[in-house]
Amino acid sequence: MGLRTAVSTSTGLAFAALQYLAAAGLVAYVAGDSAWISIGVAGVLALVAWAFFGELNGMFPTAAAIRRYMSGAMDDRVALSITFTYLSTIVLVVAADAFIVSAALTHVLHVAGWLTAVWTLALLAVAVASNLRGVTAAGWLQDVATSVVLAATVVVSVVALSRSGTALRTPFQPLQHHSAAGFVESVALGIFLYSAFEWVTTNAEEVRDPRHIHRAMLIAVAILFVVCAAMATAMSHVLTHAQLTTAYPQLSLGQRAFGAAGLWLMAAVTAVTALNTFNGGFITASRFVYATAREGSLPPVLARLNDRAVPWVPVLGLGVVSFAVSLVVEAVGGSGWQVLVAVGAALEGMIYAVAAFCVLRLRGRAPDHHRPFRVPLVRVVSVGGLVVFGVLAVVASVSVGNRFDPLPLAIIVGLGLASALYTVRVVPGLQAAEAARRAARPTRRPPRPAAPGPPEPPPPAVP
Amino acid sequence: MATAEEIAEAYADWQGRCNGNARLARMLRGWDRTVHLVATDTGDGFTISVAGSVLADLRHGLVDRPDLVVSATSEDFADLFWGDLNPSDKYVSGEIVLAGSSEDVLRLDAMSMVAFLDQ
Repeated sequence: MGLRTAVSTSTGLAFAALQYLAAAGLVAYVAGDSAWISIGVAGVLALVAWAFFGELNGMFPTAAAIRRYMSGAMDDRVALSITFTYLSTIVLVVAADAFIVSAALTHVLHVAGWLTAVWTLALLAVAVASNLRGVTAAGWLQDVATSVVLAATVVVSVVALSRSGTALRTPFQPLQHHSAAGFVESVALGIFLYSAFEWVTTNAEEVRDPRHIHRAMLIAVAILFVVCAAMATAMSHVLTHAQLTTAYPQLSLGQRAFGAAGLWLMAAVTAVTALNTFNGGFITASRFVYATAREGSLPPVLARLNDRAVPWVPVLGLGVVSFAVSLVVEAVGGSGWQVLVAVGAALEGMIYAVAAFCVLRLRGRAPDHHRPFRVPLVRVVSVGGLVVFGVLAVVASVSVGNRFDPLPLAIIVGLGLASALYTVRVVPGLQAAEAARRAARPTRRPPRPAAPGPPEPPPPAVP
Repeated sequence: MATAEEIAEAYADWQGRCNGNARLARMLRGWDRTVHLVATDTGDGFTISVAGSVLADLRHGLVDRPDLVVSATSEDFADLFWGDLNPSDKYVSGEIVLAGSSEDVLRLDAMSMVAFLDQ
């Protein structure tokens, strides 16, 4: 994997269809077209997270990095609980993307709303089937798909802005008619626009040069800032409140830029984002579950492979759970996807705070470990990052659509408790069973022949 | 430390189990790869290759361009080929280091699992 593919992987993992809705939602918290400032501040914070992940990935350049640095920095049960909770973001994003693409399809085809569930089922079925057959997007295809999505989004945003006929209204006054708390909430939501850029660290074993991962994450953050800032500014400027709160604001943006052709263009672009999400999400989640099951921390059935060497139970499970979540989102209606965005933003803030903690803790526990990249002023930056990301995670978890709503927090607490309960109650039993299985299997390696002993001492001389 | 001969003996056993497993043959269909094994403690290098679902004999030295590179101690290689070692544990702990695509890594792990655990 070269630098270009590493960049497209990092950017593509972050830029899901849900990002369009997050950008539209962010506009509600600050004055109109100054949303780019919140995205910029979130981008600066993402750079702090980049520094944390840069140091941790440099120490553990492996797909299992998250397990290694978390178990090195804290109790393994806590590490597992946090990791399982964090992994639920993948389910949420896959579910949300399937729903958004389906809703967009229903909108452009002008068909009955209930068909959205049918499209969702079909999309997830295709994703599951292709994963089970071992089909993965080649690096070049991912490069092209990501470039097309990002370029089309920027072009549509700029054209929509230029055709709106009026100058920007409040490009530098985010607090006009808005509170400082709203600005903080918008930054918390803005974190979500960069979420998952760090997942490229799981490709550490595939890159030609280990430094590619570090550079790719930095470039991805810069690209995401440009694209999301352009998109949010254009949306705030040309879309009505009603358009901003639909499940497909990007289609309205496309329509404002190029008319009906723009509508179809953005529908196609939305579908392409799903390619990246499904490809990355299914592979990342299913392979992690497989590795954890092989390790003995999840039931062995999750490590079963089909004839194409694909862990089929996790793939199927991810498809089923994602479909169930998307049905709930659809049933809840307007605020359903906003809750998902809030949950995702809060979990992302949480994992950035955890990364800050790990950096600091490992500096103490493993001071001599090789670190190709080191976070400068580590105490200040890590403690500051821990506090800021922790606060933003809490803020994001109680904000839905510019109002106080503890539902995302309740979902996260529920997921966290379920993970902790599983880790404390179930994992020890699984590990004991795995240990017993291994102990019951006789060692196959033949014993080494005994090494020749020291030479016999010569017999005492007889006088 | 395991000698090169011990690793070769272990590999021969693993090779026989893998090539005699019908399910693994289906799993390896179309997966033609060259894998380099680097023993970190002895400095020995070995090359294994898969072609047409068949695992070829072990070659001493690092031959051809590898799709996957596995670095571990000689003892770990011997235990792994005898089926006494779960490579996942050593991988997570960082004692086995891999360089290659995640799909190739998964396929290699699958060979151990299917050959010994028949899962």
